[in-house]
Amino acid sequence: MSRRADPAGPAQPAVVITGLAVACAAGRGAAALLSNAFSGTPAFTPVTRFDPGRYSVKVAATLPDAGPLADELAGAVDGAWTGAGLTAGQRAGCPLLLAAHRDPGTARLPAAARRAANARGGLARALATRTGLTGPLRTYITACVSASTAVADGAAMIVAGRAPRVVVAAGYLVTEDDFALFDSGRALARDGRVRPFSSGRQGLLLGDGVAAVVIESAASAAGRGAPALARLAGWGRAGDAHHVCRPHPEGTGAARAITSALRRAGIEAGDVGYVNAHGTATAWNDPAEAAGLHSALGAHAATVPVSSTKSVLGHALDASGLVELVVTTVALRERRLPVNGGFLAADPACPVNVIVDGPLRARPRYALSLNTAFGGANTALLVEAAP
Amino acid sequence: MTASGPFVLASACWPESESDPRPPPLAGFIASSFSPLVAAVADRCLSRHFGAAPVDPATGERTAVVIVSVGGDVATGAAVAAAVDGGERMSPLLFFQSVPNAAAGRVASRWGLAGPVVCLSPPGDETAGAEAAGLEYAGLQYAAELIGDGDADRVLLLLVEQEPAGGLDRATALLVAPPIDEQPGERSP
Repeated sequence: MSRRADPAGPAQPAVVITGLAVACAAGRGAAALLSNAFSGTPAFTPVTRFDPGRYSVKVAATLPDAGPLADELAGAVDGAWTGAGLTAGQRAGCPLLLAAHRDPGTARLPAAARRAANARGGLARALATRTGLTGPLRTYITACVSASTAVADGAAMIVAGRAPRVVVAAGYLVTEDDFALFDSGRALARDGRVRPFSSGRQGLLLGDGVAAVVIESAASAAGRGAPALARLAGWGRAGDAHHVCRPHPEGTGAARAITSALRRAGIEAGDVGYVNAHGTATAWNDPAEAAGLHSALGAHAATVPVSSTKSVLGHALDASGLVELVVTTVALRERRLPVNGGFLAADPACPVNVIVDGPLRARPRYALSLNTAFGGANTALLVEAAP
Repeated sequence: MTASGPFVLASACWPESESDPRPPPLAGFIASSFSPLVAAVADRCLSRHFGAAPVDPATGERTAVVIVSVGGDVATGAAVAAAVDGGERMSPLLFFQSVPNAAAGRVASRWGLAGPVVCLSPPGDETAGAEAAGLEYAGLQYAAELIGDGDADRVLLLLVEQEPAGGLDRATALLVAPPIDEQPGERSP
């Protein structure tokens, strides 16, 4: 592994992940993720949360015992906080960055009631009050890069010395509103499978995802004797400036986000040993993402193992970036890289080394979690395995 | 950005006078003033600073587009809910505009702004004045953080609110840079 100095300035304080929690269609907790999702077995089942009869697709990856989103989020925050070895008394003053999609309940309120709900601070304020996190509060509504942007911004807060630790929480439970929207946009896979980077891919499927992480300065974690689950070595955000909803076909923004993350980490492209791709399995996304990887990683993009866990867990929209950061962290810790499910055959437009046969035993030091969104928004999170 | 605070290079509002209570319709967007407001106020602000679109690539690559809105695009949300509850066929256009990123992407592509794209919802406030002030504070605070972290040199802040207390749907645009003594290179034009 080679390191190079960051020309942007002196070394920054290290940021580590000290706690995490996740719930998705694979189950609750990292163990369920590992045993049910890493093998590539899809979690898509017929939708029972609402009647999907009038839509062209009738499956999604839902958590069978999902409670209300507010409860799921509070449970995830509690789990991550406790897992980080922190006490309830340490919650005061801690920032909460929440990634959440539009609330279908609020959309159905009369205008005055909607205003009142917003004035109360909505889901974020309720979660902060319930969990006792009394620091700065912000909700990210940047679609599929909401959670990953929140992680990058939380890391920036820590590096800037604004907080010793930050809680990032994200939650999405499949709703009929989104089902109807994605159906109308012909974005859902009519064959009921998500096949990222594969020929014959037909699109995405929606999935539940709720997650929380505690990110913290390494000095703060070390000072209280808390082990780091992984280091958040780098992060980057960049835009395509190309289209309202389509990615730039050359993945220009994704490439610059990756390059920013590499530069911040002070490592070379060849040091990246795994890519957890956005991989929505839509016609537009996957070739653009592959092009962005090639632009940022050069020849290494053809060989570095790549998978999209949306192939198994579906797309959790605003929460997907945090679920996938947890997947990436678990992969590094367990030295096992998840399968890209649903793969049929290589697509020449997506020349990446997709993990297809089974979970790959590997010990990469660095892994990249990449996310892209409508509006040409792109983020890259670079995770380093704990020593 | 530090204690000396952000530097506002240009600003605009919509509406600014009685002649523009409604933003011009935006091709491809329906049922909501949100995206037309974002586009109109961004065009007004950026035209004042840069003249015509697009900006030069070096500047554009380092300029972020950040939408800040307490309520988000409530009219699109209501239109989606009405279509679902009424058993109506959903317009595909609602899919494309269902996230605020779409409006940000329209601004970014038109003006060549290839910095980060971020949409935020800060907690709201009980009164219109406090809410507007809170929106601006949250936006400027975020711009400072984003520039300070290094992925952008400038931020186009787009503060948008539909259904504000006792008022028209409205938007404010602020093109923000670090304080003069911290700006990298020349400020144009």
